[in-house]
Amino acid sequence: MATSVVMPALEMAQETGKIVSWVKKEGDTIKKGEILLEVETDKAVVEIEANADGVLAGVKSQAGAVVPVGATIAWILKPGEAVPAETASAAPAARTMTEQPRPAAPPAPAAVAPAAPSATVSADSVQISPKARRLAKEKGIDITRVKGTGPDGVITTDDILAAEAAPPPSPAAAPATAASDLPAIARLMAERTTQSWTQVPHFFLVRDLDAGALNDAREKLGPAIEASKAVKLTHTDLLIALVARVLTKHPKMNASWTGKGIQMNSSANISVAMAVKDGVVGAVIPKSDTTALADIAAQRKELTERARDNKLRPADLSGGTFTITNLGMYNIDAFSAIIVAPQAAILAVGRISDRVVAVNGQPAVRPMLTLTLSSDHRVVDGAQAAQFMNDLAEAIRNPASVLSN
Amino acid sequence: MPEAATAVREITLAEAVREALAEELRRDPKVFICGEDIAEAGHPFKVLTGLVQEFGPERVLDTPISEPGFTGLAVGAAMTGMRPVVDIMFGDFIGLTMDQMVNQAAKIHYMSGGKWRCPMVMRTTLGATRRSAAQHSQSLHAWMCHVPGLKVVLPSTPYDAKGLLKSAIRDENPVVFFEDKMMYRLKGPVPAEEYTIPLGVADVKRVGEDITIVATSSMVQIALGAAKLLDEYDISAEVIDPRTLWPLDEKTLIDSAKKTSRVIVMDEGYGRYGVTAELASVIAEGAFFNLEAPVKRLGAMHVPIPFSPPLEDATVPTEKTVFDAARALCGK
Repeated sequence: MATSVVMPALEMAQETGKIVSWVKKEGDTIKKGEILLEVETDKAVVEIEANADGVLAGVKSQAGAVVPVGATIAWILKPGEAVPAETASAAPAARTMTEQPRPAAPPAPAAVAPAAPSATVSADSVQISPKARRLAKEKGIDITRVKGTGPDGVITTDDILAAEAAPPPSPAAAPATAASDLPAIARLMAERTTQSWTQVPHFFLVRDLDAGALNDAREKLGPAIEASKAVKLTHTDLLIALVARVLTKHPKMNASWTGKGIQMNSSANISVAMAVKDGVVGAVIPKSDTTALADIAAQRKELTERARDNKLRPADLSGGTFTITNLGMYNIDAFSAIIVAPQAAILAVGRISDRVVAVNGQPAVRPMLTLTLSSDHRVVDGAQAAQFMNDLAEAIRNPASVLSN
Repeated sequence: MPEAATAVREITLAEAVREALAEELRRDPKVFICGEDIAEAGHPFKVLTGLVQEFGPERVLDTPISEPGFTGLAVGAAMTGMRPVVDIMFGDFIGLTMDQMVNQAAKIHYMSGGKWRCPMVMRTTLGATRRSAAQHSQSLHAWMCHVPGLKVVLPSTPYDAKGLLKSAIRDENPVVFFEDKMMYRLKGPVPAEEYTIPLGVADVKRVGEDITIVATSSMVQIALGAAKLLDEYDISAEVIDPRTLWPLDEKTLIDSAKKTSRVIVMDEGYGRYGVTAELASVIAEGAFFNLEAPVKRLGAMHVPIPFSPPLEDATVPTEKTVFDAARALCGK
């Protein structure tokens, strides 16, 4: 029985998925577990595995198409099987939402011939005559972009010659090629940051803080956590725990802008910006406000490792309500970050470095830390954000009081 | 077709065959004919009328009804220096002659290291629609094509029949010569003067640009009729008759396929494991990267030929069949 390939639901509230690219082509023989295609959700690009052995056929949605979750986008056929006729789908709205140039596909279901293909039916996705295929190769024409006008939609020599004569596709017809050449993560990052920077009214608050107590807390709490969880406690771990707990008193800082208004979030799910191969993603530690510091450290370590191996899963990247981004390890003193919409704020953490500061009217050398909060002015105002920063500063000055809660 | 037939003389295919035989009988005293009802009766299809009167019963030899017997006689005669022309009334009977043809005639030159030859011709018939039922209507020439050592000739016009038969009689190897029993009355220009047509040279019966129809024997006229119909749909069909299935003029077929990019192959024999299979394969191998579409085969339906006239007619490709197939291939 033919196995359908459907647009998977990768996140709780996901309604559609965008096909980034097909790793396999129609007609390819596929083993269960092999990567079939890449799908982009709001937060990540995910590789979708084949759910059966067979031959990929009946690909209905091409790269770039936005497809409702649950819609059939292709079939995996066993020898002798044909693409089933279109039936009332589980997803009635199963239809691509963007118009993309489609490679010529046979209107009739293409059967997969077990051994000897019959004279006219081929399992190959692009139905093209041998002569046209040779000509296309000689002329360097991409046959997947040629529409067949021969019998049963077969691409003929005339079609290749017409494609050769036709002007190159206009920018409107084809999405910017430069962008589409980017790795998906990089493209996603470009789109999201542009969208946020141009649409979210950012404002920035800066606090210089004495990180001495933070250092002490790390030294004091670290060994026990290392013993129990086999993970070295980091400043980031401490900040995740502290920020999350402070957020419970400042729910608007933990809210989301929905486009229509402000949506409060019931828990503080701290998203930690992590560098991956082609860009940056936010890995989420759910319910950071109620999660023990040791568990936060363990989860953060696991996410870091997965990010390093490019193995973050959609669930790792979804549900964040507030982001912490730390460039201290790169010796950055302070920086401003771009908000990850629809979150209300992002905290940029600089390095801890010894600086001369005034303590009780006297110059002193203290381990100092600069925090920069970027906030969405549609959700919070300066005073609210300042109060949050104030409480956060207090927590950093006395971590034990907050963590013991 | 001859470019400049000096006399626009038109004779039937039966007359062309008779002329070829008479001329070769006159030319070479070693030539003789044997078969059933060929002397006084002049053959049931009246192909041989008058020959016994000119050449006598020793050279136009009536035989008992025993195809294996007189075929064996011919094989032996050929090996010992004669040039027999065996007449097998219906091609359906060649099964009876198979051991003589396949195991003796076809192999003796090879197995004797070239010391023996078997310069004989077997003339027989093919073709349905004569209301002769399943045992007298088949086109079994593919059987002979399968055997190394046998040449197989299928003329489609009076001109070709005469020129090819004369070459067959003069050939040093056994040649099986299939005549379409429904084409004996077909008239065509045949020059009065001497000529022969070499075996192994295809003939372009009609020049075209859009599709090649390779047709044999009875199917050539069908192909030409279909080509006329296709003209009205702006499809220019080239019709090629290989004339001899072995030796086969592969180059002419492949060149035409390369030119037009679309090919129909038709033959009145059964398609399965048949002549069209071989021709389609030759074309696919030789012209694959110039083809726009799979090579389409048309042949007899894979059934015993029915006696019922409407059913019998349905088993054979018609101009309409070819016309439809050509339009489908061309997408017009």
